[in-house]
Amino acid sequence: MANLILDDICVRFGGLQALTDVAFSVGEGEVVGLIGPNGAGKTTVFNVITGVYKASSGTASYDGNVITGLRPYQVLSMGIARTFQNIRLFQNMTALENCMVAQHSRSKSGVVGAILRSPGQMREEARIQEKSQKALEFMGLGDVTDEVASNLPYGHQRRLEIARALASEPQTILLDEPAAGLNPSESMDLMNSIARITELGINVLMVEHDMKVVMGVCSRIVVLDHGVMIAEGVPENIRKNPAVIEAYLGQ
Amino acid sequence: MRGSEHWIHMEFFIQQLINGITLGGVYALIALGYTMVYGIIQLINFAHGEFFAAGGYMGVILISWLASQGLHPYACLALALALSMGYCALLAMAVERLAYKPLREASRLAVLLSALGMSIFLQNGLMLTQGVYDKGYPTEITSGGFEWGLVSVSYMQIFIVGLTATLLVGLNILVFKTRIGRAMRATSQDKVMSALVGINSNRIISITFAIGAGLAAAAGIMVGLYYGSVNYSMGFVPGIKAFAAAVLGGIGNITGALIGGLIIGMVEIFAAGYISGEYKDVFAFIILIGVLYFRPSGIMGENIDDTRV
Amino acid sequence: MKRLLALIAALAVMTLVLTGCGEEEKAGKVLRIGTMSPLTGPYAADGNDIRQGAEIAVEVMKEQGGVEGYTDIQLFSQDTACDPKQAVAAANKLINEKVTAVVGAYCSSSTIPSSETLAEENIVMLTPASTSPQVTERGLPYMFRTCGRDDHQAPAAVKFMKDVADVKTLFIVDDKTTYSQGLADGVSIAAKAAGIEVLEHDHVNQGDKDYSAVLTKVKAANPDMFYISLQNSATGALMVIQARRMGINATFMGQDAVYHPNLIEIGKNAAEGMFCTFGAIDKDAPAFKNFLSKYKAIANNEPGAYSAYSFDSTMAYMLAVKAAGSTDPAKVRAELMKLDFVGASKNVVYDEKGDSGSNYTVYQIKDGKFVPYWNSLTGDKY
Ligand SMILES: Nc1ncnc2c1ncn2[C@@H]1O[C@H](COP(=O)(O)OP(=O)(O)O)[C@@H](O)[C@H]1O
Ligand SMILES: [Mg+2]
Repeated sequence: MANLILDDICVRFGGLQALTDVAFSVGEGEVVGLIGPNGAGKTTVFNVITGVYKASSGTASYDGNVITGLRPYQVLSMGIARTFQNIRLFQNMTALENCMVAQHSRSKSGVVGAILRSPGQMREEARIQEKSQKALEFMGLGDVTDEVASNLPYGHQRRLEIARALASEPQTILLDEPAAGLNPSESMDLMNSIARITELGINVLMVEHDMKVVMGVCSRIVVLDHGVMIAEGVPENIRKNPAVIEAYLGQ
Repeated sequence: MRGSEHWIHMEFFIQQLINGITLGGVYALIALGYTMVYGIIQLINFAHGEFFAAGGYMGVILISWLASQGLHPYACLALALALSMGYCALLAMAVERLAYKPLREASRLAVLLSALGMSIFLQNGLMLTQGVYDKGYPTEITSGGFEWGLVSVSYMQIFIVGLTATLLVGLNILVFKTRIGRAMRATSQDKVMSALVGINSNRIISITFAIGAGLAAAAGIMVGLYYGSVNYSMGFVPGIKAFAAAVLGGIGNITGALIGGLIIGMVEIFAAGYISGEYKDVFAFIILIGVLYFRPSGIMGENIDDTRV
Repeated sequence: MKRLLALIAALAVMTLVLTGCGEEEKAGKVLRIGTMSPLTGPYAADGNDIRQGAEIAVEVMKEQGGVEGYTDIQLFSQDTACDPKQAVAAANKLINEKVTAVVGAYCSSSTIPSSETLAEENIVMLTPASTSPQVTERGLPYMFRTCGRDDHQAPAAVKFMKDVADVKTLFIVDDKTTYSQGLADGVSIAAKAAGIEVLEHDHVNQGDKDYSAVLTKVKAANPDMFYISLQNSATGALMVIQARRMGINATFMGQDAVYHPNLIEIGKNAAEGMFCTFGAIDKDAPAFKNFLSKYKAIANNEPGAYSAYSFDSTMAYMLAVKAAGSTDPAKVRAELMKLDFVGASKNVVYDEKGDSGSNYTVYQIKDGKFVPYWNSLTGDKY
């Protein structure tokens, strides 16, 4: 029943109205696409949901709890993870460590236990490692676990971003242009991965420019232009929507 | 005859080497606090030397009190060490909360000034509560040692080097093998991203301050025991030296702090031993300037941005 | 209406101020004395001793009925931090407080510049602790010194080394202040003249705690005597602790700045047997005992090395004002020159330069106490 609901979200940056009354939801088992021209406010939507930016008005709620006003780490522990448009890995950590960091909110041992290497802490550490390993394997990165992130090829880094988000055991995952910079075959792999993510019972909200990817995996699409929602619906309708076509052509 | 002359030189050298390692270890412990805090919030925590002084004081107060309760001297020492480290950790968390956290979004200069103010405040607080007189440490606990000709190694030196090494190993495990350590490294690299993977950066920053101050407190007690007394203004000079050590090693880098501390300690001791005591600081700072001229990010700092804690 | 209110308020404030002044006039004159000493920084311990010594003197004088013609005696304390610039600033503050005399400072490097400032206003300065010869060699008419001089201390120390301790080889360390290095240089020159071999004269920095490098040199040189000229007793204690731990067997000797209860309290066993030169204070004399009991009662701690000198300096000034019947500097100076009173530290008599003589005595630390060992004036052991 995980349900992300945005209710009339507005965001202002000084004089710029970045979002105006944005309202949509991501329901159980859905893959929702968020599209729109550059500067439309898609990343801003992600930032509001995850607590990086504050909404000027409106609320976002998750599982019936208001999440606007929560700090990013609190939003994550509610079960919402995200990736970035421009890759933001922890560059000098290994692939495995990147995923292990994401287990932070799902584990609890403190400083003292850690230094004394208590049995509880050791068990927890082993569990964290196992889950992270699984996330890597899920994204096809099982053979580069000990590679330092900055040494990975671009396509791997993109997948590692998603693996890291998965490692935090989310119910909903927000993907910001996951296919950006990938070649067609890599995009295909990505589509498959996203399909498999939904099979895990994880809901997806995805920003993407690659229409093949969007149309291929999304069950519903929300279109933003200049911070305003201009359309919402199933892929076939969106493709034919004149407002959408104009927004993209006008770009 | 010439042989024995040569032997004296050798012994002199070995003794100075031992002196240098001891002093360097103390600097390294203090330098770690500077480097960890810098790594995580890019702040030069001028108040850090004060944690060292506060730890030294807390140590002597506790050791005396525990001894009066009839505890075995070693038990007193161990307990006092643990409690002082804990006390300074809490103190540092309070300082961070009061003086730095409200300025998280402010300019770096504002935080720096706040740190300077905190340093003055803590030092004067120590002076008002503990008085201006030096406080003597019960040095009997650790008297004695080994002696080979000119070379003498006191138990205290062994204790300092041993404890420093233990703390360093512990810190290394913490930073590289635990969830707290991973969170510290993640926070120092990218605060926004680390928050988005579920890390409460304020808590991690707080813990970082606590760990740094705990290490400084241990150094304060060792200095008190080794040199014989503590003083309210004792944080200043070692604070500067340790800061220099942290910069020399590459600020933000833990191994760098250790190397920097040892180098500054060694250079000081050898300059004093082979040239003159009055120039030892000059040499220490010449080395610092020299290294920074050729390697602006310090010995271990490959690139300031990604070698933090 | 508002203006009227403001006017009334202003008038009310002015009246308050005026009556305030008037009251002071009516109540009579206040004798205002300043003290200058390092209240913060590494020498804060000695600085506090000096301030407290002056406070006790004022209390004692008040108990004895005060100074005729003055309803009250007030003390104004300033911090020099042993820094020449801050010392001059402190002198200026005291001038603004309208003091007529200043007891201080501690470091010679503070006393010398601040005395020039005070001299411009004809304010009497009595130093209880600055032993550099320069203090009284500059011909300032209102400069007095209640303690001894280093050019007497160095020869006294060397005479002791030669005649009593039978020293053949000497290692000297100082910490580079006007006072500590000046004295160490004096000892070095006098020792060479006396035929003692000075193996090395090395320096450490103020604020250091680690002396291992220099002490390793001392150990290698293996001198008969290790002469320690540091600005501060606590650092002196650190040095003797580390020296003994390192296994240095030389006899230790210090000077008047390391002569302080702190040296024993912190140095403990390591300080046992060490010699120090200090102006002889007869601790059995009734005047000292009297001072001691008052000091303990009021200050609630033991007097430090210079407390008695500060007490005597303050007392000397108040006695001179009493005798002169005014704070006119020329009259006070005349009375100070005539003064001959039994103080806590010694029999205080000022000579033409403003000095009061040096009676350096070598003390030895025995069973945790400074015990008089040898008198430099008579050349006799106690
Ligand atoms: N922190 C910020 N401060 C000011 N303006 C911002 C900020 N973040 C985004 N914007 C502006 O908001 C608008 C929407 O940006 P964004 O959400 O990144 O668009 P996109 O749809 O391409 O992801 C843009 O005009 C952008 O310049
Ligand atoms: Mg974007």
